[in-house]
Amino acid sequence: MTTIEIGRLLRAGTTGFVVGCRVNQLDAPVFGGLVRVPLAGDDQVYGLIYDIHIDDDGLVRQLVTAEGVSEAVVADNRLNRNVPVEMSVLAVGYRQAGRLYHLLPPRPPLSLDVIYLCQPDEVRQFTANGRFGYFRHILRAKDLPVGELLAAHIQQAQAAHAAAGYRRWLNDAAQELITLLRDDYPTLMAVLGALGEIA
Amino acid sequence: MADSSQPIGYVVGGGLKENLNVRLNIPADQVQEGAFVVIESGQWQFYGLVTDLLLGATDPRFADEQSESRLPPALAHALHGQTLYTNLEVLPTLMFEVGPPGTAEAAQWLAARADERPRPIPVKTIPPHHAPVRLATAGDIAEIFGKPTEKGNFVIGYTREQNHPVCINLNKFVQRSSGVFGATGTGKSFLVRLLLAGLIQDNAASVLVFDMHNEYGFDDTASDTGLRVIGLRTKFPARVRVVGLGQGARIRGHTPDFNLEIAASDIVPADIEMLMRELNLKETTPTTLEALWNDFHEDWFCRFCQMRNGAVIETDEGKKIPAPDSVAAWANRAGVNVMAAEGLHAKLGRVFHLPYVVEQPAADGIGEVIKALEAGQHVVLSFGHHESDLDYLLVSNLLTRRIREAWEKRTNAFRSNGEGEPRPLVIVVEEAHKLLNREMAAQTTFSTIAREMRKYYVTLLIVDQRPSQIYDEVMSQLGTRIAGWLGDEDDIHAVLSGLAGREALRGMLARLQPKEEVLLLGWGVAMPLPVKSRRYDDQFWDELLGSAAKRSLAQNLKELGY
Repeated sequence: MTTIEIGRLLRAGTTGFVVGCRVNQLDAPVFGGLVRVPLAGDDQVYGLIYDIHIDDDGLVRQLVTAEGVSEAVVADNRLNRNVPVEMSVLAVGYRQAGRLYHLLPPRPPLSLDVIYLCQPDEVRQFTANGRFGYFRHILRAKDLPVGELLAAHIQQAQAAHAAAGYRRWLNDAAQELITLLRDDYPTLMAVLGALGEIA
Repeated sequence: MADSSQPIGYVVGGGLKENLNVRLNIPADQVQEGAFVVIESGQWQFYGLVTDLLLGATDPRFADEQSESRLPPALAHALHGQTLYTNLEVLPTLMFEVGPPGTAEAAQWLAARADERPRPIPVKTIPPHHAPVRLATAGDIAEIFGKPTEKGNFVIGYTREQNHPVCINLNKFVQRSSGVFGATGTGKSFLVRLLLAGLIQDNAASVLVFDMHNEYGFDDTASDTGLRVIGLRTKFPARVRVVGLGQGARIRGHTPDFNLEIAASDIVPADIEMLMRELNLKETTPTTLEALWNDFHEDWFCRFCQMRNGAVIETDEGKKIPAPDSVAAWANRAGVNVMAAEGLHAKLGRVFHLPYVVEQPAADGIGEVIKALEAGQHVVLSFGHHESDLDYLLVSNLLTRRIREAWEKRTNAFRSNGEGEPRPLVIVVEEAHKLLNREMAAQTTFSTIAREMRKYYVTLLIVDQRPSQIYDEVMSQLGTRIAGWLGDEDDIHAVLSGLAGREALRGMLARLQPKEEVLLLGWGVAMPLPVKSRRYDDQFWDELLGSAAKRSLAQNLKELGY
């Protein structure tokens, strides 16, 4: 299996963790992407990237006000920056003893654990397991742009399923979201509005 | 159209008093009001009637906003599938024990009850949440209403969605009085023709029809379509006798089998009292009639008729006094008020001049009718051109009174001496409100029959367009009621009187399709059900007479040399 390492763990909690990476690692991870953190044995913790942010440092602050910053300086600042690019990840499930759970992990991963981007196979496996239980974690996160996050995730997952010939996944996912959100009109319409963009 | 065996929804709430709510999971247009549904719940099957369909939404905003325009079709469809729905209101009517589910246990359970097959009983409990609901199959309908192939069951119509035949049991039908109701032009007389054909073919009871408009005996022409309508006599020439009222009567250009004349001596004061409203008689009438009866007994009618009204003679002293054969002279002798007697005589003029009331009839017409009925034949009494209410009231009441006496006598003989059991008789009364309204019901024989003659093997089949005009006590005794479309609130109320779930049935009655649909109600049917009524056409006759008709076709071919 090809593995794409996207960074190392900065800090973690039960409901999510933050990954730091270099700018040159930033090509692979995307908003809504499914990532995994291997733990001891074959166990894994899975998460969805819901935020990627790039903090400034003192040098950047000076450079943005300077005139005529050369390409070499820009490249140097990006490659050798002191502050890592940070990715916030929402914990959505874990694997233990070969079985997948759409529950919060028993314990969070530890600092400097390596984080990998899930391959289409893994995405299919995780998203087709059970009945979309991991949507709970996304919908609970009221501060996040839930509709956008779901749309981004569903688009990627749908591509993975469609590549394997399973086209109903999107419909099933939409049905499940409607079931979960039918008592919450504003959220449901926001989610469906976002899903409408990718349909 | 939904497949019968597939669930159409599931129970989501409700109760015995307020009906069950069923969430529909097929498009609403595949189920109609009045649909017969089956709810399966473990050991029991519940049978119910859809009384209403309601649109609902999990949140009113889903219903208010047309999200089709905002979302891609697939998403909009998925959204509406979950948030917008139709609920059925189901009136539970019967429950039926089917045994434990699962083949092995069920077989054991059935074997244990081989002797007494469980029957559907009135609903006493309710199915649980999420019990699946499906449309009734032909088998369910046959379980409740009877199998069309069994003797005594007559297909009266078909279910509206799936055309399953719905039967009424004719034996049960004739056990109690029954009624056919519907506003004018809703196909009442065709329905009565169907029922009569069924009764005559089944032959479990004799039928006497008071055919006020000469519709049933010989072939007729339909008033709306102009097509020929087959008469009962045409199809049952050996079993049906058409009787014309009055000497030389011709019915629809045919000569009836025999004519009915009424002997003046058959008329009793009660027959006249019953005409109180029709003849506008005064309250003094009963007293005068009683005096006439006391003086002349059976001859009272003739004698009174012969009296001269207002005739006077002059005495030797030149004084004018009533002639000895005048009404006044008799009144004075009998001690009756002269004015009252003369008034009555004047008003009875219409009866005195009836051509079919004669002193000496050529034959005992009434006796013939009774004899034919006792012999298992069926009689259609056509009124010919004597179509006034007076004719109808007088003749039908008089004849029924005589029949009632005959049947009472036979029943008593059967009960006390074990003589032959009387043959059940159904008397068909058109325009029944004229005979059974509030004022007259107490006086006519019909109300007695409706109330208690069941014991004497005589019942009524009441045909009427204004059931609200019929006396409540009679209406409440009706077993089977077959109602076509009714618009008037009072009429609807009257037809539903004494039935459970009235409110739910009320709307159904008002929304029946005129000429095509009828609602079956009452004791004679296991549960109320709207049906598409059977068509009275050649196909009906082929189905009813079945093999007999085929045989005659074969015979015809043989005769033609094939």
